[in-house]
Amino acid sequence: MAYTLQQLLKKSAAQYPEKTAVWARGRSITYRELDERSNQLAHLLLQHGVKKGDRVGLYFPKSVESVVSMFGVLKAGAVYVPCDPAAPADRVGYILGNCGVRVLITNSEKRRGLDVATLHSLQVSVLVDSELKSGNGGGVIPWSLLAEFPANNSPQVTLTETDLAYILYTSGSTGRPKGVMLSHQNALTFVEWCAETFHVTSEDKLSNHAPLHFDLSVFDVYNTIEAGATVYLVTEDIALFPTTLANFIESKGITVWYSVPSALVLLLLHANLQREKLARLRTILFAGEVFPMKYLRQLVELLPGVDFYNLYGPTETNVCTYYKVEPSRLDSMDKLPIGIACENTEVFAVNDQDQIVTAVGETGELYVRGPAVTYGYWADSEKTAKMVVPNRFQKNFQENMYRTGDLVSLAEDGNYYFLGRRDSMIKSRGYRIELGEIESALLSHPGVKEAAAIAIPDDIVGNRIKAVVSTHESQTLKPAELQSHCAVKIPKYMIPEIIDFMDDLPKTSTGKIDRVRLAQAALV
Amino acid sequence: MTESTQPAVKDQIREFIQENLASVKGISSFRDDESLMDNGVIDSLGIFRLVSFLEENFGVRVSDEEINPENLKSVDSIEQLLIAKSKK
Repeated sequence: MAYTLQQLLKKSAAQYPEKTAVWARGRSITYRELDERSNQLAHLLLQHGVKKGDRVGLYFPKSVESVVSMFGVLKAGAVYVPCDPAAPADRVGYILGNCGVRVLITNSEKRRGLDVATLHSLQVSVLVDSELKSGNGGGVIPWSLLAEFPANNSPQVTLTETDLAYILYTSGSTGRPKGVMLSHQNALTFVEWCAETFHVTSEDKLSNHAPLHFDLSVFDVYNTIEAGATVYLVTEDIALFPTTLANFIESKGITVWYSVPSALVLLLLHANLQREKLARLRTILFAGEVFPMKYLRQLVELLPGVDFYNLYGPTETNVCTYYKVEPSRLDSMDKLPIGIACENTEVFAVNDQDQIVTAVGETGELYVRGPAVTYGYWADSEKTAKMVVPNRFQKNFQENMYRTGDLVSLAEDGNYYFLGRRDSMIKSRGYRIELGEIESALLSHPGVKEAAAIAIPDDIVGNRIKAVVSTHESQTLKPAELQSHCAVKIPKYMIPEIIDFMDDLPKTSTGKIDRVRLAQAALV
Repeated sequence: MTESTQPAVKDQIREFIQENLASVKGISSFRDDESLMDNGVIDSLGIFRLVSFLEENFGVRVSDEEINPENLKSVDSIEQLLIAKSKK
C-alpha cells in the first residue's frame, strides 16, 4: 500500500513504462518519462537548496510540465503550492509570501508579471518554457537544465504519510486567501476510495477539467497515475467552447469525466451531445456546487448507461460524501442528495443543542472526521482553531474533526441533503468565494465608504455576483473603475458583474449592513 | 463595405466586448489580434452573450459548431467570421 503519492507513480512506471501518462496541448509524456523527468527535477530542487517540507510554488498554465512538477516537488520531500495562473499578481504574491515560497516553478511571462518584492523573496525560479542560454543568472534556471540530473533514481528523503504534500489556497473571509494544508495521507485516503469506488483501470482515459489549484484535480491526476491510466488536461481553448469540448471527449475516448456541474450544463445546452459519439464515456463525477435538477435529468436521459455521481466535500476534506445518481428516482426528486460518507470517513450533523443529529428530517452543521481531514490553514492558527476542532463527541483519544459550515439534513433514505451555508461563503462555477474577500477588495479603493457583495442565484453557474457600494462625499465612481481596481486584488470570477451605488447602505437594527434586504432587492 | 454613418463592424465588436465583457473583469484595453481567452476577457457565459450580440446586431445565425476557438479567438477573427457569413 502506498503511503506517499509518488509511490503511485513508481509502481505504475515500473508496470507501464511506455504507456502515455499525461496529455496536454498536443503533447504527451509516458510513465517512464514522467518518472525520469520528476526524478531529475527533484535532484535539481535539492541542489538548489530545497529541503524536506519546503514549499515550492507552481505558477504557469496547465501543461505536461505541471504534472512533472507536482511529482518532482513531492520526490524532493517538499510541498507544492499550485497558484491560479489567471489570478492577479498581487494575490499570487500574497500566497507565495504567506507560505514562504523561495523556489518557484513558472514561465517567463508569469515571472515577469510578479511584483518586485515577490521576485526579491525568491531564491530560484525554474522556467518551464526556457531553453538554456547564457546570461540567465539571477536565480533563473531553464527547464533544459533538468537533463544534467540523474533520471533513474529519486533522491533519498524520509517521509511518512503525515507529511504535507500540497497546499491549496481558497478564498478567505477576511480579504486574503487561506492555505489548506493537505498531507499525503489526506490525499491518499481520497485516491484509494476513488480507485475502489470508480474502478479506474489502466484502460481508462480520464479528463482533467478543473484547474490544478482546485481539489477536483487530485482525482484526475493521482487516480490516473494510481491505475496506470492516461489523463488529458483540458485547457481554456477547449474548455470554453462546448462543441470543441464535446469533440475532445469523443476524439480522446474519455471514459471518466469529473468537473463542476456548470461545465456539464454548458455541454448539455450547447454541444448537441450524442451518446453514440461519446460511446466510451462510462462515468461522470461532479462536485463543487449544486447540480440544477432539470439539467441533470436531461443529461442522464441523454447519456444512458453512464454512471453519475454527486461528490461533496470542501477542500479541507477533499470529498467526504457521495451519492450515486439513481435515474429511476430522478423524476420524483426535487433535490439531489449529497449522499453518505465515503469509506474511511465519518460525517455527522450537529444541531444547535450541540447534539449529533439522528432523527430523520433534523437539520445540523456537517462535521467530518477521519484521515481525509486537513491539519488546518498554513500560518493561521486562529482560523484553524475555529474550523478544525477537537472531537468532543468521544473522549478516548485526541483527534480533530472539521466543521464544514454547511447546513444539512438527514433524510429517510439515509442520505444527507445540503441546505445552505452558515456564513457568507458562496459558490460560483464551483469556486468557493467568500463575499468578505470581495468586500475587502472594494473597500480598499479610497473612494469607497461601504460595500456589500451579494450573490444572485443563477441556473447555470450557481451564483453571479453583484455589489452595492456607497462612496465618500464628493466622490463619484463608475462601476468600471471599481472593477478594474478589483482586478488587481481578486480573481476575475470574483469581480462583481453589477455594481450599484447608494448614498448609504441599509442597516439592520444592530447597525450592520442589511445584506438580506440587499439580496432580496437584487432578486427583483 | 461602403462608407456609412454606422461604425465599422470591427468597432462595434470591440465596443461590445469592452463594455460588456472586459470592463466587468477590470480589463480596460486589448488589441484586436489578442486572444480573448488568454487575457481572460471571455469566460464560459461571456461567449454566449457575445454570440447573442452578433446574432442580434448583425442578423446572422451562429451555430453551436461555429462557437469555437478559431472563430471567436479575437476581435479580428470575429470580424472574419462575420465577413464569411455575409458572403454566404
